[in-house]
Amino acid sequence: MTPKNNIVIGIIIALVVVASYNVDANPLEFAEGLPNLAIVVEEMLSVEPKYIPTALWAMFETIQMAFIGTVVGTAIALPLSMLAARNLNSKYVYAPVRALLAAIRTFPSILWAILFVIMVGLGTFAGVLAIVMYTVGFVAKLQYEAIETIDSDPMDAVSSIGVSKWQLIRYVVIPESASHLLSQILYMFDYNVRQTSILGLVGAGGIGFYIINYIKFFEYGKAAIFMLVVLVTVLFIDWVSVKIRDKYIVKSQHGMEVTTK
Amino acid sequence: MKQIQMTQNPSFSLISTNKIIQMSDVWTSYDSKNFALEGINLSIDRGTNYAIVGQSGSGKSTLLKLMNGMMIPSKGAIKIDYVTPNMNNKKFKKMMHTIGYIPQSLGLIKNISVIENILIGALPRLNKVQSFFKKFPEHEINEAKRIMALVGLSGKEERKAYMLSGGEKRRVAIARALMQKPTILLADEIVSELDSVTAREIMNLIADAQKRMNLTAIMVHHDMQLALEYANRVAVIKEGQKILEIGVEGDTIVDFQTGNMTTEEIMGMYDDSKK
Repeated sequence: MTPKNNIVIGIIIALVVVASYNVDANPLEFAEGLPNLAIVVEEMLSVEPKYIPTALWAMFETIQMAFIGTVVGTAIALPLSMLAARNLNSKYVYAPVRALLAAIRTFPSILWAILFVIMVGLGTFAGVLAIVMYTVGFVAKLQYEAIETIDSDPMDAVSSIGVSKWQLIRYVVIPESASHLLSQILYMFDYNVRQTSILGLVGAGGIGFYIINYIKFFEYGKAAIFMLVVLVTVLFIDWVSVKIRDKYIVKSQHGMEVTTK
Repeated sequence: MKQIQMTQNPSFSLISTNKIIQMSDVWTSYDSKNFALEGINLSIDRGTNYAIVGQSGSGKSTLLKLMNGMMIPSKGAIKIDYVTPNMNNKKFKKMMHTIGYIPQSLGLIKNISVIENILIGALPRLNKVQSFFKKFPEHEINEAKRIMALVGLSGKEERKAYMLSGGEKRRVAIARALMQKPTILLADEIVSELDSVTAREIMNLIADAQKRMNLTAIMVHHDMQLALEYANRVAVIKEGQKILEIGVEGDTIVDFQTGNMTTEEIMGMYDDSKK
């Protein structure tokens, strides 16, 4: 460890202390508050199993919202990503499209949810719209980056045949970036399920709506059931997407030999 | 030992109607000081099996890219079938449909099947609706299957391109080019990474197609032996200049530039170009 490193670490620690003082983050209060956590946990442990069907239904609704949001968002994102890719367009096309996508990504989904609650009223539809917006911003960015990393040789070989730009996109760009796309859709769906679970906090439907209401009325036992369902669902979706990724994506990207009939 | 004959210098008879490729004093540059090609003159007869030999960095790949309009010379004139190659020229863009180009890395699309890769050669013949829905007409699919049989790929239609061996990948690239119903076939070091048995299989395949379809095949090699074995004409490129052009007919090698030389001397000149 060099003296220079020590100084840097010292400065970082000093900044954390100063910032903590500024925002009233007092470790003593955390220690004093621990018994309160015990009370919450105790109440949570007195779960009420009769709410399980409601929780499962709410979770199902949440998954459906995330599903619509992911599919519709990706469908909108794909053409935008083609327009935003530097290796397919002139500066006058990709620059404004990228600016638009950056603007969409500036807002977290919960802010989009508030905006759509104002527009279309409380409920799941506002949540779906928020997820669509968020998905558009992110999938389009991930996808145009994937398109830009496509090997230029197939592009050159096929464009030297004198094909149209649409044919180039259809027959080279889409297949060459498809494995990235599948991976991104899985990631996005996974992420959107978690996002949708909290959109209820602003009244945009989904399981979060139940959680926030039970917490508001100090019914931690009921809230616990719903939170547990979210946890299990997210873990399950994560596990499934790892399986799908292993099966379809890893092999094609690394060009591994696979057995065929 | 091959016989060497003195001849007139026939390679610049630009009036002949049989010249499919003509280059006169062609220069290309990556920036204002460094030239990839320096004053190349080439003239290739229709139906020739032509080889361009040189070390890496000699400018031979650049020469191919000039012939299909992927690159534009900074100086000099090129005519491909009497049309100046340029992707923005409508007449040339139409000609590109029948110029097969196989880059060194082959340029296959690895996540799609063999037959889909080959059908790409037929894309210029499809209308918008057909190409959007990937709906290839029956006769094009049959043509693709016929070409697959020709290049020895029958039964591998649905294999994904990334699963194939090096030799098979080259067969797919050749089939895609043949699918274009080409008049010119350009191939960049297509056998350089293969073992000698597979390399000869691939070379025989191209030589066969070249004769059968009366193609003009222009192949870049770095192996002089292979070039002499298959080509009717061999141009040697060194540091962006053509230092030698020889004609090969059976056991006879005709030198078009420097006159009387033995095969050893020719091989020796080529060895010089390695330094």
